[in-house]
Amino acid sequence: MTESTVAEVMARAVTALERLATLGEEVEDEWQYVTDLVAVYRGRFGQIAAARAADPVTPETARAIDLAIEEAGLITDPHRAIDWLSTLPQIVLFTLGEAA
Amino acid sequence: MRFQDAAPDARHVVYAGIQADPLVGRVAALLADASHGQRLMARAVMNGERTDPAVWRAIFPALFDPVEPVLSERSEALLEACRAVAERGEQARSQYRGAIVESLTALLLARRSSAVRRERRILFDGVRAEIHPYDVTVETPASAEAYDCKWGARGINADVLDQLDDARRHAAEEGEPLAVALVVFDARRSCLVRLARQTVRREGIGLVTIETLDRLARRRATPGNSPEPGSSAR
Repeated sequence: MTESTVAEVMARAVTALERLATLGEEVEDEWQYVTDLVAVYRGRFGQIAAARAADPVTPETARAIDLAIEEAGLITDPHRAIDWLSTLPQIVLFTLGEAA
Repeated sequence: MRFQDAAPDARHVVYAGIQADPLVGRVAALLADASHGQRLMARAVMNGERTDPAVWRAIFPALFDPVEPVLSERSEALLEACRAVAERGEQARSQYRGAIVESLTALLLARRSSAVRRERRILFDGVRAEIHPYDVTVETPASAEAYDCKWGARGINADVLDQLDDARRHAAEEGEPLAVALVVFDARRSCLVRLARQTVRREGIGLVTIETLDRLARRRATPGNSPEPGSSAR
């Protein structure tokens, strides 16, 4: 099995975040919060990708993150999408052993 | 400054039923002894779509490591309880989540104080009482505390911050120290993002997040207006 790298996993997580943000933006009153939140977590993911880009992640870790991304992809309610904009990054950071 | 039970209204009666559900107490008790990772899992499961335990074990493999049976057992118990919340349906589970955060806060505070109360209003001489009660209070004479509990950072808003700030200031005017804080079952980073756009006063309001919940159980270093436990919402 081909191992993923941190950069690859982070790229998938950013795509998932952006999808959640698009959904969350449907809550007009929360547009600013959604925009701020996705910017902050995109930045945090970017830091990790820059620092550990080529580092391999174990198949178990990659599967954990991919399943979390898949779970986030099942969200269709904009309000829950906003909650997952915070939840998904925490799972990814925890799984990679990174500080929140 | 004095404390008073909130007058029961229709919302209060319905919510009291949820607060009294043994499931709320069970999840809160498990969360009180949980690690940060386990609390993250609980948050995800209670707001997730899938309730298949195998999925959640695969998302959080470190919590179900067979070489650590105690950790694994606790994770299984928490996962089972959180799945029971998730299976209540969207409307009910959002009420359960709120009740769980309040119950968890009360449980942790009760580890250092016997004066913990729920759903209390705080009255000050010559000041109109707030309509909404405080979720959890610690009514220790000369060292009281009031907490507002939120499931997510999105629950932080100007009204919540204003109410906490008003209570703190009125208490200080009466010469009675009152520590006030938000307890948010969400990441500190998300809370800071939310707070960054708030223009109301928040000096002196503590912030306890999913990473720092255990501080609620520790004796406060400084009685009075200190924003401890937790760090400031400033």
